[in-house]
Amino acid sequence: MAIESKWYALTGAALAVAVLLPLGMHGQYGLSILCMLFLYITLSQSWNILGGYAGQVNVGQAAFFGVGALTTRLLWLHGTPFPLAIPAGGIASVVLAVVVGFPALRLRGHYFAIGTLAVAWIAHITVGNLFPGISFLTGRHVATYSLVLRYYVFLVIMVAALTTIYLTVNSRIGLGVEATRDDEDAAQTVGVNIVKYKIIAFAISSFFVGLAGGGFAFFNASYYWYLPFGLMWCFEPILIVFIGGVGTFVGPIVGSLCYVALKEIFAFTLGEINILIFGVVFILTILFFPRGIVGLPAALHHAWPRRLHGEVGERANVR
Amino acid sequence: MTKKGFLISAVALLFATGLLLSHGPGGFAQSSPPKTIKVGGAVSLTGKYAAGGVDVADGYRIAVKHINDAGGIMVKEYGEKIPLELLLYDDESDPSKTVTRLEKLYSVDNVPVYLGEFASDMNIAGLGIAEKNKVPWIGVTMAVENAFNQGFRYTFAPCMFSFMEVGSMFDALDTISKDKRPIKIANFELQVDWGKECTKYVNKLAAERGYKVVLEQKYAPDTKDFSSLILAAKAAGADVLFSVPTPPQSMAIIKQMKELDYAPKATCFIRGPDLSNYWQVMGKDANYILTCGEWTPDMPYPGNKKLVDDYKAQHPGKLIGMQVGTAYGAVQILADSITRAGKLDREAIRNAIAATDLKTVRGRVTFDKRGIGNVPWSLCQWQNGKLEVVRNPDFKTTPVLLAPPWGQR
Repeated sequence: MAIESKWYALTGAALAVAVLLPLGMHGQYGLSILCMLFLYITLSQSWNILGGYAGQVNVGQAAFFGVGALTTRLLWLHGTPFPLAIPAGGIASVVLAVVVGFPALRLRGHYFAIGTLAVAWIAHITVGNLFPGISFLTGRHVATYSLVLRYYVFLVIMVAALTTIYLTVNSRIGLGVEATRDDEDAAQTVGVNIVKYKIIAFAISSFFVGLAGGGFAFFNASYYWYLPFGLMWCFEPILIVFIGGVGTFVGPIVGSLCYVALKEIFAFTLGEINILIFGVVFILTILFFPRGIVGLPAALHHAWPRRLHGEVGERANVR
Repeated sequence: MTKKGFLISAVALLFATGLLLSHGPGGFAQSSPPKTIKVGGAVSLTGKYAAGGVDVADGYRIAVKHINDAGGIMVKEYGEKIPLELLLYDDESDPSKTVTRLEKLYSVDNVPVYLGEFASDMNIAGLGIAEKNKVPWIGVTMAVENAFNQGFRYTFAPCMFSFMEVGSMFDALDTISKDKRPIKIANFELQVDWGKECTKYVNKLAAERGYKVVLEQKYAPDTKDFSSLILAAKAAGADVLFSVPTPPQSMAIIKQMKELDYAPKATCFIRGPDLSNYWQVMGKDANYILTCGEWTPDMPYPGNKKLVDDYKAQHPGKLIGMQVGTAYGAVQILADSITRAGKLDREAIRNAIAATDLKTVRGRVTFDKRGIGNVPWSLCQWQNGKLEVVRNPDFKTTPVLLAPPWGQR
């Protein structure tokens, strides 16, 4: 079997496991953790296409997540069927990206990061003032609440995001996006329309972040309206991508697994000290493995075999 | 890592995660009594709300210890006393984690009752989960009345809500003789639902009781500079200032009032000055400030002295926070409700909580149909380093002191 066929078979198997998992799970807890896992994979991969592949460090992802959540929740609670409300959240997020993107993407490096952070902060304050209250599900929604349904919603959003981003970064567009990251001036010199590729990456990123926001709105029974605009939604996806491996497709997935699953296990087995341990692991990762967990085998391969080869060589000489 | 390698690890991790997390519920229908009754909640033991969360956890722990020292809770179904087992999971001050922790308590630990959190963000997330899972939830620090107007059946909060907090301020002001009583109110409205609710009641009660709201100014939760509001209140001649600031804001406002030489006769900040270390931080500038008085170590309610003595023995030198007492009271209600329900059935316990009529360390508690606690309306005032109760219907209180100008303090 060719490597590509094996890869497709394994992807299919992973997907089948994910689809069938709720049938074998009795508790709500496992499903709620998996919902969070899928949410973080979507958010981090969406950040990665803009920050990792296009090199545009968006520190304001909460604005797009929040707009998706706000739009979806308002439409859904006012009678729009959820399958229509959630794409509307994604589209609203793209609209914000386009409005913000045209001026913001003219900024470079730190200025772009600060600009997007300002957008998130403005959105947080504005929503806090316009919607100072709490969003509750109605009695009807609570009575029909199904965590299994939420699980599948998050799964579909995640699979759609991963598929779209995988196909994009492995296409001609992906080359343009990466060229933009590597050297904007050089890319422009050879005719790459860097603004176009930045906008494409920004739009794809925002759409799936908006969908994830819609999933959040569908998942939570009650929360303050401003909550999905909180800055934690800006920084956690970045943290995850750096843990997993920035600018790689599997990095955000591995990072999310570590962040959600391992952190949960640590929280219950190690208690409050787990935060300290996780923080130390993050600092060590950044210091010694800047390519993240995904880059770990390569880093070890570079470090250890050299010694190993040296030793073997020395022994060979002795003989 | 190769794609193949990654996918194999992904499938394995997914299976492992599923296996780790997919414990089925045990069910309550047991013929033999359980060794313990598991109760618990998600509490902020770390993160930005940890200071209050730790107080809540301490209150829960002492209450459970006292109950277990007496043999546990009598459960009629089993004909014997069963000790409580307290499960407190750290939600790291993150509402998303509150949700997953409460799901674990529901489906893995099978708790018959949830205990509430310290901060509103987490409590609001908890309310929805409790209602969805049909698990009774007993809160500790709720103040937003609107949260209990949703028709929820399983949520109960033996706390002072906005109408009680505002009402207790007017009750305290009413105790001042008419010739000295300040009546011109400036209301700095915090732009959150709680602030809006308080404004509604300030306006309503002021009109009913002969006071006058001379200024109403709004501010955002992140506001740090209050000088324009203070100058407006000073210009309006307001001699009462009311607000529900965050703790840092409550300190900033007082400092800026002093700088701008604005000294209303009564300053009532429901939140902020209620922190046990407020005097340590603010010094004598905290004098005369009125604040929430849900519970203090001096309250002469049954069991309160034992709670305070044990707390001091366990935490020598540590100031005792208000939430220690309110959390202790929540566990008292829980224990009483399980005893009256006579079984560990969530619906039976829910009905027993709704019918609560209990004297706790914070006073007598009953609930209205919405789950809002009927608790004693209480207000405190900082007087020379001590938080004195100046309004409480159940015992003799200290008179309210009017604040002199800053130069005379």
